[in-house]
Amino acid sequence: MSATKTFLLELHCEEIPARFLRPLHFEFSHLFFKFLDKESLLPVGAAVTSNGFVSSPIEDFMSPRKMAWRIPGLPAAQPDQTETQVGPPQRMCVDADGKPTIQGLKFAEKWGVDFSAVRFEQPAGKKEPCAVVTLTKQGRPTVELLAEALPGLIAGLHVPKAMRWGSSEFEFVRPIRNILCLFGEQVVPITVDGVAATATTWGHRLYHRQHPDPVKISSPETYEAAMQDADVVVSVEARAAKIKAQLESLAAEVGGRVVMHDEEDRKLLDTLAEIVEFPKVVRGDFPADFLELPKEVLVVSLREHQKAFCIEKPDGNLLPCFLTAANRTDDPEGFVKAGNEWVLKARLYDARFFFAEDRKHPLSDRLEKLKALTFQRELGSYHEKTGRVVALTKALATRLSKDDAHIDRALEAARMAKCDLRTLMVGEFPELQGVMGGEYLRHEGAHEDVWKAVKEHYRPVGADDAIPGTPMGCLLSLCDKLDTVVGCFAVGLIPSGSKDPLALRRAGQGIVRILWEQGWPLTLADLVEAALKVVAAKATKPEADTREALLAFFKDRVAYQLELAGYAGSVRRSASAAEGLDLVDLKARCEALSAFAEDARFASLAQSAKRIGNILKDESPAEAFDATVLQDATEKALAERLKTIEATRDHGTLLAALADLADPLEAFFNAVMVKCDDPALRAARLSLLHRLRRAFLRVADFSLWQ
Amino acid sequence: MHIQELILRLQRFWADRGCLIGQPYDLEKGAGTMNPLTFFGALGSKPWNVAYVEPSRRPADGRYGENPFRVYKHLQFQVILKPSPAKVQDLYIESLEALGIDLSKHDLRFEEDNWESPSLGAWGVGWQVVLDGMEISQFTYFQQVGGLDCRPVSAELTYGIERICMFLGGYDNIFDLIHGNVTTDDGVFPVTYGQMRQREEFELSAYSFEHADIDLHRTLFDAFEKEGWRLLKDQGHFLSAYEQALKMSHTFNVLDARGAVSTTERPGIIKRVRDLASACARAYLEHAEGAAVPAEAAGKGGAK
Repeated sequence: MSATKTFLLELHCEEIPARFLRPLHFEFSHLFFKFLDKESLLPVGAAVTSNGFVSSPIEDFMSPRKMAWRIPGLPAAQPDQTETQVGPPQRMCVDADGKPTIQGLKFAEKWGVDFSAVRFEQPAGKKEPCAVVTLTKQGRPTVELLAEALPGLIAGLHVPKAMRWGSSEFEFVRPIRNILCLFGEQVVPITVDGVAATATTWGHRLYHRQHPDPVKISSPETYEAAMQDADVVVSVEARAAKIKAQLESLAAEVGGRVVMHDEEDRKLLDTLAEIVEFPKVVRGDFPADFLELPKEVLVVSLREHQKAFCIEKPDGNLLPCFLTAANRTDDPEGFVKAGNEWVLKARLYDARFFFAEDRKHPLSDRLEKLKALTFQRELGSYHEKTGRVVALTKALATRLSKDDAHIDRALEAARMAKCDLRTLMVGEFPELQGVMGGEYLRHEGAHEDVWKAVKEHYRPVGADDAIPGTPMGCLLSLCDKLDTVVGCFAVGLIPSGSKDPLALRRAGQGIVRILWEQGWPLTLADLVEAALKVVAAKATKPEADTREALLAFFKDRVAYQLELAGYAGSVRRSASAAEGLDLVDLKARCEALSAFAEDARFASLAQSAKRIGNILKDESPAEAFDATVLQDATEKALAERLKTIEATRDHGTLLAALADLADPLEAFFNAVMVKCDDPALRAARLSLLHRLRRAFLRVADFSLWQ
Repeated sequence: MHIQELILRLQRFWADRGCLIGQPYDLEKGAGTMNPLTFFGALGSKPWNVAYVEPSRRPADGRYGENPFRVYKHLQFQVILKPSPAKVQDLYIESLEALGIDLSKHDLRFEEDNWESPSLGAWGVGWQVVLDGMEISQFTYFQQVGGLDCRPVSAELTYGIERICMFLGGYDNIFDLIHGNVTTDDGVFPVTYGQMRQREEFELSAYSFEHADIDLHRTLFDAFEKEGWRLLKDQGHFLSAYEQALKMSHTFNVLDARGAVSTTERPGIIKRVRDLASACARAYLEHAEGAAVPAEAAGKGGAK
């Protein structure tokens, strides 16, 4: 094995947007390994996976101004490569005397070799010996290949929001100001948009106030240490870990914990790590009277405007403090703390202004204003949507409750649900939709059922999020999502492949989750019918098509729900194939099936079920059959069992009875030939199997068990 | 630091670095970018460095002079550097130091913020510059203006004058800022921002939110548009036509603050401003470069 070296490339740019750092970094790695693979330069320990990605000991570094890649174990040069060229048949290359013909000489000349180097062999696939030459291509030094390829690879990155700068036509995510590119200790001579690679780079801006010269990187291995000395932690994971540790200890100092509950909070931690080169978490205070604002408003306002975390006490109430990360090593004079406090106060002033302004008029005043807010072009305004959601709520609430006052409250919640879209606060913080409506209603003295329902009706926001905490909230969420999904389908907006711009799958999943967890006696088919009726006036597609597409859509959502619920594959497949839209029943069957999942008899039952399916494929057996024509003991026994099974209602008991059927069925198939010549006997046997299968299908389609 | 001192220092700094010192343009506008020194200056191939103060009106931001942080009208200090210099970030940082900000003690960050002005058909990429958690400037590499690609690219630096002043002085209320001192035979009298502007904030907020005549503004909007296209089409006059586009833009902002523009109506109205502004940009470029602007100069990015 020849010597290997470590490669290091760092693109030092003006501040790269945090959201592009990881995707760009990853894309370059991918392109770079494709190049290494093509040139036979893959490092020691690299492997190409089936989807074309390369797993390799690459080390990733990124900071606001840097994207860097380090790969140990690259060969110093390509291995020599031999290739064989096949020419014309031997008989055409040499004459009877064994002398080369013109054609033979031309072949040698074409590949730049003397005729004496031409051999005659019979290559695979040829019928006779042919002229063959073996050429040796000498491997080139890796550094040359890198120098040739890198500029193209860098320029070829797909930058989502590319820019130009200065007088150049070059496009990149942000201006490239320095390139560090080493192969071992040697600089790889590349130039990108006029910037030539060197063995130096830049540290933290503040560091260079005292150190005007760039930082020399003597070898790729010393990169992190040299950068650390220049106040840049080049590993984003290391920065995130530092930030997290500091957040936690600073929160603990004031007797609280960091508010880090949802996805957005966790994203903020990543973002903070992405936008600083050296993290220093600072804790600041804000005036305690701002705590009169709803907690959600403070959390969102701090997060969105100030990239700051809130701190909560053990009882869940907030402390008048916040935490954020600065891009420096310390805060010697407290300027960073004071500055952030000052800005935050201004932000909270605004939030308080919105909160006060919005409450000058009852929330219901916004209902009229929803007419000017488009929900979706074909489906009309939010005012129209509200009308549909109210109608749907009425249709479903009357099926779930007999209490008129309760139903009236559900309708009130439906009417108010979208009003907060016209409030100043939601205009400023769209993610507070629902929450603000609920808070404003609470302040107006609305019934607890109503404000809580409005507050939580966007939930579940994702797979990790809980469904609304109250039944009325669940109903409102269900109706709102149902109108969105069915409405969009009715005007032809159906998700396909990776395209689901309106997040209908997520909404559909929410509907299924709510039904699944609430266990309401409403099937998905019922819901679809109710919603189709409500959107009928807006529909542009034939109702039958819409219904069909919706039922298929919900089947997929249900399948995913079963997966989330953790049922085994056999249970999921066979249970949902039987009947998948009545979730209460489906859940009961899945539970019952899971209890039997380990029972070995089910494998045999599955075989029999398949067999029955095949036998009945082209038959249309009658319901009733004459049991007296049955002859064999095994079929008589089956007919007896059928009576008991058909009378059984409970899924568990039924499954036990079906499991007991495994042996008798096997015996039956061994003993008799179903499609016999006697027409009466044949008809009776087919009917018997037909009714057995229907009994199976009440719980599961066992032909899908395996 | 007094407001006027801050402005003087910025003007001195940028004049010393090869910028012309321009003046505000005497029409209502929402941002310094709308000043022809930038709108037209950023187009075409000729080098162009200019810096100026621009009072910027945002009717929807009016708070009747009651909110200590937000106002109907604020001052922007605008710098255009064409082509954008390689050390433009360093230059910007030096300008902060010229204001007396000792960066060794502060946290300075460039956080992604891509500017766009749908009514000017202009967009660029860049950052908001954040000092100790406060946005003090907008930093943009112009990619398109008036729907036309910028070649070369200009860097635009926009300083929020009042914000920086408040921040430096630790003020909690914009109206307490000192604009400057009036010195007479009787002594020195500091004049606050509030003395100069608070009543104006009250009246202009009240106008934008309550008293502006909606029908009149709708009529004005249509009339400015008609006038602009007439000037451009009949006379080939892009400067006077552009003024009409600026008036349309402000009229729209008043209607918007007044709550008279529905969400569905809004994109259409903005497009009418953009169409006129973009036509002016094209006419300017043809005039300045002495050649027809090929259709493909309208770049792939497109106005958002």
